[in-house]
Amino acid sequence: MSQTPHSVIIRGRGLKRYYRRGIETVKALDGVDIDIHTGEMVSIVGPSGSGKTTLVNLLSCLDAPSAGELSLDGKLLAGLAEDRLAGVRRGLLGFIFQKFHLIPTLTVAENVELPLMFLNRPTDRKATLAVLTSVGLASRADHRPKELSGGEMQRVAVARALITNPKVMIADEPTGNLDKATGEAIFSLLHSLVKNQGLTVIITTHNLALAYQADRIITIEDGRIVKEERGER
Amino acid sequence: MKHITLASKNLLRRPVRTVLTVSGVSLAVAVAVSLGGFNLGYREALDRSIERLGFQMMIMAKGCPYEAATMMLKGGTGLLYLPADIYNTVKSDPSIQSITPIFVGIAAKEGSSIRDDVSTQSFSIISGIDTESFMTMKPWLKFKTGTGYDPGRWFEHNSTTEVVLGFEAAQYEQRKVGDSFYATVTPNGQTEVKTHEFKITGILDRTGTQDDGTVFMPLKNAQSIFNRTNDLTIIGIKLKKFGAVELREFEGRWLKIPEVQVVSLEQVKGTLVSLVGTAQVMIAAVAIIAVIVAVIGVVNTILMSVYERTGEIGVMKALGAYRSDIFRLIWLETLAVCTTGGLLGCLIAIVGASVVEAAIRGLINLGVQGSIVRITPGLIGGALVASILLGFFAGLYPAWRAASMRPIEAIREGE
Repeated sequence: MSQTPHSVIIRGRGLKRYYRRGIETVKALDGVDIDIHTGEMVSIVGPSGSGKTTLVNLLSCLDAPSAGELSLDGKLLAGLAEDRLAGVRRGLLGFIFQKFHLIPTLTVAENVELPLMFLNRPTDRKATLAVLTSVGLASRADHRPKELSGGEMQRVAVARALITNPKVMIADEPTGNLDKATGEAIFSLLHSLVKNQGLTVIITTHNLALAYQADRIITIEDGRIVKEERGER
Repeated sequence: MKHITLASKNLLRRPVRTVLTVSGVSLAVAVAVSLGGFNLGYREALDRSIERLGFQMMIMAKGCPYEAATMMLKGGTGLLYLPADIYNTVKSDPSIQSITPIFVGIAAKEGSSIRDDVSTQSFSIISGIDTESFMTMKPWLKFKTGTGYDPGRWFEHNSTTEVVLGFEAAQYEQRKVGDSFYATVTPNGQTEVKTHEFKITGILDRTGTQDDGTVFMPLKNAQSIFNRTNDLTIIGIKLKKFGAVELREFEGRWLKIPEVQVVSLEQVKGTLVSLVGTAQVMIAAVAIIAVIVAVIGVVNTILMSVYERTGEIGVMKALGAYRSDIFRLIWLETLAVCTTGGLLGCLIAIVGASVVEAAIRGLINLGVQGSIVRITPGLIGGALVASILLGFFAGLYPAWRAASMRPIEAIREGE
């Protein structure tokens, strides 16, 4: 489905996610209404255990809500099985994780090309190098992850997320394992992707200084959105 | 990048563990292939040895069927004798195409052998034969010719001083045509040993049967030196038409003689197969246990690898992998381990066939000559298919476990 600028690409209404922990029911998310617009960079902040990762997991179809409605790129996701959710994710969403999760036996280029294998798309070395150039790592294409610094590994993760030309990039604590300067560099890289490629970026972070560089900051506490603010971008 | 590339790179992540698992599979396959090769080779060697006896059945003194079987194929142990006049009686049977009387005796080499190792080769098998009827049964017997071998001939019919040596008997004693051969015999009913000197008139070419280790001499002379002038050991018989019915009819006619048993080659084969069968079952049990242990090893290794990569599997799912992608990936790893193990196992079995043969011969007396372990392309193909099937089934559970992981939980666990 084609999107007009600033149209809603992810919409959640009354999203709830409850877990059973023994006899107790944990309300990780307790009725969240949220709209994410195309080309927007949104930071989700809140204390540990507030529900920000749970919200991101729902928005990225990695988890299914206990109740509520969620649509992604115009598709209603209620009641979809795991493989159907994977089908919605494929090619539409890109992911960056706090711990990078690169495959240690693959080279940087192979790690970047990994999602293409699952999408049954052919690999193109030039395209891979182009993506690696966009994150400043073309010269490291044949290196193994263990030969890279933390910041470089996260850049590879960004390149891996970009190789499928996703519409939305989901970044869960992408700077959590990085020093301040490297974290800022990664944030700035994501900024440039929003600016230059019209990518939609959703980031969870504890770093408020970085969070406020986004278009919008959503604060979540006890499974509910308690505040929405405009950012500095 | 293809799934198989990723699968093989995953296996190289823990090379020692992968090598150990592949080794387990290859050893199990090697044992199974060697056992299969033994089963195949032994039956063929048995068929060959029995076919090379030249006769379809024999009449011999009543006794243990195992001894009868050994007697036919090795010619030396548990000698029992039957009256020689039975030969003249049986010879008139109209269903017989050819018949030959054989007298077998054991001679000590004491004081005659050029070798000192008396433990295993201190006896010679002496076979008294009627050359004309014997050669009718075994037309393939030829004298050894070529460099170092003088032209040979059969002994004179009534000679008391001439012998012909089988190929291995001559080799072991390092004798050639024209040399002397000594045999020390204890005549029947006497206590004093007598040493006889013979002239070697010929050395037979290799046949791959008991004949290779036998010393042949005229029937009458053999009977005479053993003081058994009215005895025979076996009467070899070839029927005009041979089948179950003909055999039963022939047995019915001659089993009425109380001292004899009619033993067919099929019976001998059955006896020897059942004799070795117990050992084969034991080896088969070891092979099956080895295969089961190997399968458990493979499942364990792949499961460990799956658990170690829980986070990665979650990430791959997040990146767009379907359950089928993850299943295929883990399954391919298992198949790669089992196929590589299968290939190596076949290689080990081929290279180690002679070692296995020597080990089996050291453990049990098989009563056959020639190679007893035969590894065929069909056997190798079967083993490879079995290895792949092993991987196919061994990989199902780990692959299912990995494919069933929910991405978000897997990523969380991996962290």
